[in-house]
Amino acid sequence: MPDTLDPHVRFGSNSGQPVTRRDGLAKVTGTATFAADNTPDNMLYAVFVPAAIARGRVTGLDTEAAAAHPGVTHVLTPQNRPPLQGDPSDKPTMFSFRFEALQDDSVRYAGQPIALVVAETLEAANEGARLLNPKYERLTPRTDIDDAEPYAFEAAGFGLPANTVHGNPEAGHASAAQAIDVTYETAPQYHNAMETHAVVAKWEGDHLTLDMPSQAISMSCAGFAYYFGIPAENVTVRSPYLGGGFGSKAIPTGPYVLAILAARMTGRPVKMMLTRQQMFGPVGHRGQTRQRLRLGADDTGRLTVIDHEGIAATSTFDDFVEPAANASQGIYAAGALRSTHRAVKLDIGTPGPMRAPGEASGSAVLECALDELAEKLGLDPLELRLKNYAETEPGTGKPYSSKALRECYAQGAERFGWNSRPRAPGQMRDEDGLLVGWGMGTAFFPCPMFMAEANATLRADSTAVVETSAVDMGQGAWTALAQIAADSLGLPLDKVDFQAGRSGLPDGGVAGGSGHTATAGGALHAAGGDVIRQLGEIAAADPDSPLYGAGNAGFVARDGRLYVAGDESRSEAYTDILARSGGAEIAGNGSASRAPETAEQHAMNAHGAVFAEVKIDPDLCQMRVTRLVGAFAAGRIINPRLAESQLFGGMIWGISFALHEEARHDHKRGHIVNADLAGYHVPVNADVSGLDVITVHEEDPYVNALGIKGVGEIGITGTVGAIGNAIWHATGKRVRRFPIRIEDLLTS
Amino acid sequence: MTLHRPESLDEALSLLGGGAVVLAGGTDVYPGLRDGPPPSRMVDLTRVAGLRGISLRDGLWRIGAATTWTDVLRAELPACFAGLKGAAREVGSVQIQNTGTVAGNICNASPAADGVPALMALDAQVEVAGPEGPRRVALEQFIRGPRNVDLRPSEIVSAVLVPEATGQGAFRKLGARKYLVISIAMVAAVVEVSGNAISRARVSVGSCSPVAVRLRGLEEALTGATVAEVPGIVAGADLPGLTPIDDVRASAAYRREAVRTLIARTITDAMEVRDVT
Amino acid sequence: MSPSISLTINGEARAVALDDPRVTLLDLLRERLDLPGTKKGCDRGQCGACTVLVDGRRVNSCLTLAATLDGAEITTIEGLALGEELHPVQAAFIENDAFQCGYCTPGQIMSAVGLISEGSAGDDPERIREGMSGNICRCAAYHGITIAVQEATRNMIRTDKEDAA
Repeated sequence: MPDTLDPHVRFGSNSGQPVTRRDGLAKVTGTATFAADNTPDNMLYAVFVPAAIARGRVTGLDTEAAAAHPGVTHVLTPQNRPPLQGDPSDKPTMFSFRFEALQDDSVRYAGQPIALVVAETLEAANEGARLLNPKYERLTPRTDIDDAEPYAFEAAGFGLPANTVHGNPEAGHASAAQAIDVTYETAPQYHNAMETHAVVAKWEGDHLTLDMPSQAISMSCAGFAYYFGIPAENVTVRSPYLGGGFGSKAIPTGPYVLAILAARMTGRPVKMMLTRQQMFGPVGHRGQTRQRLRLGADDTGRLTVIDHEGIAATSTFDDFVEPAANASQGIYAAGALRSTHRAVKLDIGTPGPMRAPGEASGSAVLECALDELAEKLGLDPLELRLKNYAETEPGTGKPYSSKALRECYAQGAERFGWNSRPRAPGQMRDEDGLLVGWGMGTAFFPCPMFMAEANATLRADSTAVVETSAVDMGQGAWTALAQIAADSLGLPLDKVDFQAGRSGLPDGGVAGGSGHTATAGGALHAAGGDVIRQLGEIAAADPDSPLYGAGNAGFVARDGRLYVAGDESRSEAYTDILARSGGAEIAGNGSASRAPETAEQHAMNAHGAVFAEVKIDPDLCQMRVTRLVGAFAAGRIINPRLAESQLFGGMIWGISFALHEEARHDHKRGHIVNADLAGYHVPVNADVSGLDVITVHEEDPYVNALGIKGVGEIGITGTVGAIGNAIWHATGKRVRRFPIRIEDLLTS
Repeated sequence: MTLHRPESLDEALSLLGGGAVVLAGGTDVYPGLRDGPPPSRMVDLTRVAGLRGISLRDGLWRIGAATTWTDVLRAELPACFAGLKGAAREVGSVQIQNTGTVAGNICNASPAADGVPALMALDAQVEVAGPEGPRRVALEQFIRGPRNVDLRPSEIVSAVLVPEATGQGAFRKLGARKYLVISIAMVAAVVEVSGNAISRARVSVGSCSPVAVRLRGLEEALTGATVAEVPGIVAGADLPGLTPIDDVRASAAYRREAVRTLIARTITDAMEVRDVT
Repeated sequence: MSPSISLTINGEARAVALDDPRVTLLDLLRERLDLPGTKKGCDRGQCGACTVLVDGRRVNSCLTLAATLDGAEITTIEGLALGEELHPVQAAFIENDAFQCGYCTPGQIMSAVGLISEGSAGDDPERIREGMSGNICRCAAYHGITIAVQEATRNMIRTDKEDAA
């Protein structure tokens, strides 16, 4: 593939190749070191006690019994907890959350830390925690979305507008020949990365070293520095491997701060690993939503209005609101668009970003509502979407930086066999008599970029080291970013030493928003480019080089040689150039972020189309997704093997959202009744078959220097709606909540 | 807490009392340990001689108390045990089946214990060892309620006994996930057929009442039924033993409706397998 | 009381002093024997991340008290490869991208090794999915896991046949 983006670099040597994971060997041999795998000498174990009630206050803790248990060294309660230098009730940055670190005796949600026990062994710490036997003064908990009045606010998610209007929605409603007005609900969901949150904290003087999984290493350093009153550069975070993140491992949380405090207090390293049950509370979740969608269309099926109102649950003490209604912006060419959000404050842990925050919940409902409209209009669901295909961004009129959605629809529909779908529901049965239904949805995810920096150093022997504090939580960053770095230096992958996953390196930014490969990759690309530029300058100025005087033409870097652009007969090996220049290393650096003017000029999104087949037992109502075809256009794919895995994973998260995941509160007592992996269902292997991913070719000259759009989150969007629509198509029954439960399909 | 690993039943019995907890596979005991105070001692039965394995003597199949679900799956057993084998395959995961025991599943007395309906349909009895010697009690009487069994602190379940029988067994389990799932409902049946009609049916249902139950009224109504007649009989049957509740896994209304389908299919499974062989 | 048990771990006989009878096999391996390759995902037998082989059978090490294992033979992820040579399941996991974050991977691999030696699934994908369903993967690498187990099974059968010939 010719590359016109940068005259120095030819793509294709490494990028675009389906190489296996660089960390694969470590991960299959058990030598990949996750945070809790560290056990430094003289270490103590910390266990926090979670509140058993959802609202009230702690009136008693048997600290004597706990402290007396053999092996227990310290018991921390609000009465004796040493001071923090930063207040956990502050929000020092827009990404901060308020949290509980034993600042008082109040209980704001079930699962909140109310005490900490430190001991010589994990067993002793657990037993000490049990012996504390808390007593409470209980107030009536409010955990149902109807338990409080919705209120309006300014910003949803992280600083997104709570209300967005384009055109005249009232006129859109008035002019509609057909309209629907439907309300859907989505359940609270918990990230539940397989690795629970864990930290090993160690102080040396006023220097803090943290082995912990972090999706945002620099931000973590700054955050912990704030709470402990030390400079950010005194905090070392080592996060070589994350056992999954999904949005939950980016920010400081109460349990971490308590463990670090215990380490400072005891002067010994402290390990804390949350239990699975403790993951349901203090470390974020996807907030419950209730969404009303009013759609209007003219007789031909052209949308006159998409009017999307979201109500989301948040905590009583913080304000992260799932920006679900924003999922209706930017996707369909409606005459008018309105997205509004309100929130409900409940006695729950604060929600936070969880894989496709807003987009997942919002897309689920939008895609089902469109299906309901298609039914009303007598249109094929795909036809309705094509009728409302947006050639430019609805509302703003901005051109898309690229948009191969039409190809996604076509290739996905072809692979799935969508054309033979009967319009009416309940028409198909398989050989075993199961009801069969087909549904589809549009996948859509923005392409944000954050800020990242990187260094690259080319050594005299034509090997290189590149550095950025990027993180791999399973998305394959170590591999894809190394591929980008190798290309930027014109070197084979095995000549590049890729350093990432810890602080003390150039800031690799945040692994989130599906923007990490684009951002950290952009910085690496720039750093490598900086090295090659310097190398070219040395060669062009060196009369002994075949490249002498060719500076104006520019160079192509490949396989450790520089070639004159347009004249492959003139080239020289890096080793020779460097040898003559005294053998010195060449160090370069680079950074990446999106220029504001670029963002002004184009709308930038990844797109896709997901087609689902479900089979349903007509008597038992058991549902099974039997086929799922997703066609995605996400710009340049750096590593097809890993990108496909990301998209598969996202689509299975879609199955999970549609059919499985739901934290269920006991609204009388306020706790979550299924706070473990037996009760909180995610799919097991047997729930997943018939998956098919198509990556549709797309080149995007505007989105960023590398043309990358990101694949981490888009797989969920589209999929949830496609499954909901397939269930309707199988049964004729429209279930307006997720997850769809087996009993929702009862006919009587 | 101390752990004892006796090598004889008498030695095991001598260690009981005073809050001792008995375990074999431990798959139910350990998770519970993390929620409560540690017991003064634990008595591990896996080393007790003769407690593991399945044998037939004097018309009784004897499933030793330390027999795992995997042992059941691999044992050569007559067709009436097909339901028990079906249950064995669905208890937790294979990892659980490799250590979890049949007797442990009974003693844990969860309303959702997968093994219990299959054993009830086999008219299983529980052999209890104690200071006054062994006694036998029907499984239906042994489990008195959720987490409540007819076992004194001085006693140990030494085996589960199943009378030799003809007929074909079957088992079906309904869960919200395809595997690794706590049952919404499960049905076990053992059916004897003569000609093309049922001569004797034994049917048990779990997860739809505090303790799994035998549906004796239905069993009688099924006598003489052909495969084609089974769904109608099940649909019209009075099933007073089933008192499902709403829980996190499914609603009572769903269970009430779905369980009849599940019963009819399980009985049909048992009849059709016989037709084939 | 500090009872001592003898274990054979990854082929090496070890006498292990148990400082606490409450210690599970999982916590023994991770916190006391410097074998942290085996992972803790739920500590209740609900996820399979801690799967190891005990006397050749796959079990959840979080549901096994170490003290009950006197004389047992334990194989963990650290003991699977023969020196530099990966076990066929390990190699197939890399080749088929059967993991993302890698946290459940040791358990998945040990479970797959157990499944293959049980011999009940063969290379039937439906049976493999069922047989691997005791191991949850939140990244949802199930597609690759199923193919990897299938491929490893075939490779191991082929190797066995060649060895026999």
